[in-house]
Amino acid sequence: MIITLILLPVAVALVCLLLNRYTKLVETASVVGAGLLLLLGSILVLHVFEEGIIDEGMWYLDQLGAFMLLIIVLIGFLAILYSVPYMRHEHENGEVSSNMLGLYYTFLFLFIFTMVLVVVSNNLGIVWIAVEGTTLVSAFLVGFYNKGTSLEAAWKYLIICSIGISLALLGTIFVYASSIDVLGENSDLHWTSLMAVAGQLDPAFLKIGFVLVLIGYGTKVGLAPMHTWLPDAHSQAPSPVSALLSGVLLNCAMYAVLRYHILMTHSSIGGAFSSGLLLLFGLLSLGIAAAFIITQKDYKRLLAYSSIEHMGIIAIGFGFGGFWGIFGALLHMFNHSMTKALLFFGAGNVLQKYKTKSIDGVRGLSRTMPYTSVLLLMGALAITGSPPFSVFTSEIMVLTGGIDQGNILPSLLYAGMIVIIFAAFMGHVVRMIFGDPPEGMEKGEVNKAGLIPMVALVVIILVMGIFIPDGLSDALRDIVALFGGQV
Amino acid sequence: MLNSLSLDAINTLAAIILLTDFMLVASSRMRSLTRIFAIQSLALGALAAVVAFETGAEHIYIVAVLSIVLKAVIIPRFIDYATTKIQVKREVEPLVKIPGSLLICAAITLLAYFVTEPLMQQGTAITSNCLAISFASVLIGMFLMVSRRKAITEIIGLLVVENGVFFAAISTTYSMPMIVELGVFFDVLVGVIIMGLFAFRINRTFDSIDTSILRGLKD
Repeated sequence: MIITLILLPVAVALVCLLLNRYTKLVETASVVGAGLLLLLGSILVLHVFEEGIIDEGMWYLDQLGAFMLLIIVLIGFLAILYSVPYMRHEHENGEVSSNMLGLYYTFLFLFIFTMVLVVVSNNLGIVWIAVEGTTLVSAFLVGFYNKGTSLEAAWKYLIICSIGISLALLGTIFVYASSIDVLGENSDLHWTSLMAVAGQLDPAFLKIGFVLVLIGYGTKVGLAPMHTWLPDAHSQAPSPVSALLSGVLLNCAMYAVLRYHILMTHSSIGGAFSSGLLLLFGLLSLGIAAAFIITQKDYKRLLAYSSIEHMGIIAIGFGFGGFWGIFGALLHMFNHSMTKALLFFGAGNVLQKYKTKSIDGVRGLSRTMPYTSVLLLMGALAITGSPPFSVFTSEIMVLTGGIDQGNILPSLLYAGMIVIIFAAFMGHVVRMIFGDPPEGMEKGEVNKAGLIPMVALVVIILVMGIFIPDGLSDALRDIVALFGGQV
Repeated sequence: MLNSLSLDAINTLAAIILLTDFMLVASSRMRSLTRIFAIQSLALGALAAVVAFETGAEHIYIVAVLSIVLKAVIIPRFIDYATTKIQVKREVEPLVKIPGSLLICAAITLLAYFVTEPLMQQGTAITSNCLAISFASVLIGMFLMVSRRKAITEIIGLLVVENGVFFAAISTTYSMPMIVELGVFFDVLVGVIIMGLFAFRINRTFDSIDTSILRGLKD
């Protein structure tokens, strides 16, 4: 079952590669492929949520993996739906040749494949290979427009993330070394085998291993101060790719960190060490994001820094620990990815209309593109944590977690920075939406079909803000239980 | 028990690896960079083979052979090819002058020794005293990446980091599970090819592969 899920995106990528020159067919194949992936993924997710873990040795899907898989297939599907009209518009404007268009879908599916591989692998070594794979594949998508700035972003992305990921490999090796005395030659680096003997793992190796893994994968999560590739890559990639990078890839990297964090909480070292580090990196990311959001001049970079902020919030939630901290952080992973995808789609529409990424260059959106502007405003209110949207719920849960655990000062810092970011972020968005449009800007949406996935996302974040479906909330409780003694 | 000839061989090869790290930092020609890297990879592969011989673990032989074929032959050739094709100037053009770089790397090596000392005492592997050198390799590779200006030298720096990580795996656990090891090799190969392709594209767009001109994106 899982192997079908892994091979499906590869098959679609191959089809897109073979059909390369027939743009219409490539688009159809992509939408059908993404739809099938969503269907198959949902079946597996439901199965895990209701019946329990699927363990096929090499492939392993528990509630945590299934939860991530849900995010991947959902955003993956919507990003493909949005890509079709968006990239066609780029093609018609002569930005992208039809050959490149075929390659775009090929790489998009390979990208989705590597991310699926991250969350269904039991072997922590394979997880590493897959995370490195995401970098290699998505670098092409970041440098998709053959311009100087795109190449610069792609190069930085490749180099910085490759250094990070090398450290993560070193960390993986040390964690492996910590298991050799217990498991002997049979140690296979499977997460489940490591968990079974977590209490007996060698603490010296495990500790340094976790630090290296956190720094390594943390680079891909976008935790400050290793975040420097992120604003460049997110702003230079085509908008649907930015949505995938921000909404899904960062979560996948965070997922890898979580596997080790869970291992730490069950080891003789205890969870306090890894939680403390997560809290520290989280607060730092929130602070850096706040500073750059205030002074931001480019709206795609604004969204990128907002992603650093939210990954910081997620790290803080896991750092606080306790039921609400972990539950809130998990929920926040979902809420952030839905909301951020909505915003990047909106930003894509704005970019195609105004042909600039500068915040100052965009005025009067409410008059030129009424639908996009309403959806964008809702997205902006949601991402900054206004009720009744879902981000509000999870941010409050994380705060509750912090106060519950007696982390008063970090909780105050956390709440304070969220308020500052709210004011700064909304200030930028309000200036873009209202005011007089630039001379000669006609009224009308450029990307009407692209509004459909945006509406779907708004519905999701509104519904999730009002109530969390029982199935999901039970699954999240199961995941919280994985963190063991902390609850 | 460990045969003393093997122990000598391991120590000598480890010393060669550290020596090549310093030679990489000290060299000022692009060509010699790839040659030294090839020697380093050869030494590393040989070390893995000695470990395979000592422990009797046959899969380490495969790892050793793959490592030599890939990192001592294919990748250096590919980089040489890319360098000629792009017509890179043959000087390395360091941002930090060579004597300064060597001093920094000496400091890095001492640091690596202190950081890994508790781990080395813990380790039970016959190679556990090599951990300091492997850590130093990782850090020196990173230093190479930040202190040299060309895209190609950044790739070589990354490969040195990768060699260091591989060495660390040998010194702590002899090697990783076979499937992981193969996947890592695959990723390294694909990674180098993709970076090479980007170096071509950067050269075509900017007419240079000096990465210090990549300064267009900032806040």
